[in-house]
Amino acid sequence: MTEALADTVTRTLPETLMIASPLDALRGVAATLGAAFVAVPECPLAAGDHAGPGSVWSHTDALDEWRTETSEGPQTGAIVVAVWPTTNTAAPFTTMSPTDFAVRSEWPFVAWYAALGAAIERCADGGTIVAVIERPSPLDCAGWAPESGTADAVEAMIRSLARSEGPRGVRVNAVTTPSRLAPAQPIAPPPPLSSFPGSVDHEVSNAVSMLLGSGSAGVTGTVVHADCGRSWR
Amino acid sequence: MSDRVVLITGASGGVGRGIAHACGAAGWTVWIAARRRAEGEQVAAEVESAGGRGHFAECDAADADAVERVVAEIVTTSGRLDGVVLNATSGLSPKPVVFADVPLGELEDHVAVSLRGMHILALATYPHLRASKGSFVALTSEAGFEGKAKLSVYAAIKAAQRGIARSLAREWGPDGIRVNCVAPLAGTPAMDRAFAMDPEMASRILGRNPLGRMGDPATDVGPIVRFLLSDDSRYLTGNTLMADGGSCPIS
Repeated sequence: MTEALADTVTRTLPETLMIASPLDALRGVAATLGAAFVAVPECPLAAGDHAGPGSVWSHTDALDEWRTETSEGPQTGAIVVAVWPTTNTAAPFTTMSPTDFAVRSEWPFVAWYAALGAAIERCADGGTIVAVIERPSPLDCAGWAPESGTADAVEAMIRSLARSEGPRGVRVNAVTTPSRLAPAQPIAPPPPLSSFPGSVDHEVSNAVSMLLGSGSAGVTGTVVHADCGRSWR
Repeated sequence: MSDRVVLITGASGGVGRGIAHACGAAGWTVWIAARRRAEGEQVAAEVESAGGRGHFAECDAADADAVERVVAEIVTTSGRLDGVVLNATSGLSPKPVVFADVPLGELEDHVAVSLRGMHILALATYPHLRASKGSFVALTSEAGFEGKAKLSVYAAIKAAQRGIARSLAREWGPDGIRVNCVAPLAGTPAMDRAFAMDPEMASRILGRNPLGRMGDPATDVGPIVRFLLSDDSRYLTGNTLMADGGSCPIS
């Protein structure tokens, strides 16, 4: 995002809170938006651990406590939520161990649910929530089954919230990005924009700003794919 | 088409039972995998009555060892596995929740049956589907497209299954395995429970349905799943078919 645009954003958006994984890229978005930052707990396990199926669920009590504490903060008019893992690599679904699956699918699912739950509580009436989702583009999604599943799940979560929170004037939308998941050589045809897969600090931040702003006052339950034209669904 | 061997999880009732009936009517060998023995054996008998060969295997879809045992039994007994239907879903599916308040531990049963269960079923059946160039079908829901204010966990789970299936279709396509989803709207005991918990739900659902009725699991939904399991759909993968009478505003 350019300095001029960042200045415009910080002058026109309501006070913003970012509830997100503690990654540099996401802290950068918060800085651009002038947002306070609350870190979402990271997965207590790592891919490759030998913890067994269901192992992440022994940590949900701590996640419950985090959600409760986060929910008790002051309300604000604009909230950005992003739950991203530290890193992952593409892998065939049938080569993933139960723990790998738990780390890549089960924890993100429950962590997104917790983070969005906290966002609802912190969002003032008439406010807006934007989820920033990592989504592999449909053409490039082989090897990313857990991430594809999480992306679709979060899209459904934001549509559920758009319905439940709409009566109090809260809008809930999402921006998706394949910025960390795109293959070096995308399947043909090439993405329409040569800037594919896009970056967090430019394509994603701009789309987030658009959805947070009053220019999208009638938009809720919508997903904007900030992926340079790679997706059309 | 008359000698297919298919596995349907969670088929002791509801939509799974309807799919079993439809496959039985085609003369297929249908394995019912479910936790409820009496009901599952009854469905297997109904498959026989419909003209197919019915088998029941007691199985918790979230238990990897149990699923592997069932798949091994199928291959030993029936010689191969041509099609798999992931139909099992959490008993908590119709329970309304408040998004911000639901204890996060409650999500595990949904995840264990439907997401971990999808991984377990994919791992156990992949070598056999590769050998038969078979078909994998996941039962999702219109809720996964549009979200649900009071059923947000169920909606998200069903959406996640669709996303996983999309990737699997690309990963398994080179092996000749097709992966698709069906989003049904059918009158089932689970839907009856959901209506009981949310009395306005029935009018909301039927009010927007151009066909004006709930689907029948055996005669409306079952044939669509059977189509995806058959060679008639051999060029169809990575898709979700809406078996909902036009209810969901997705086209």
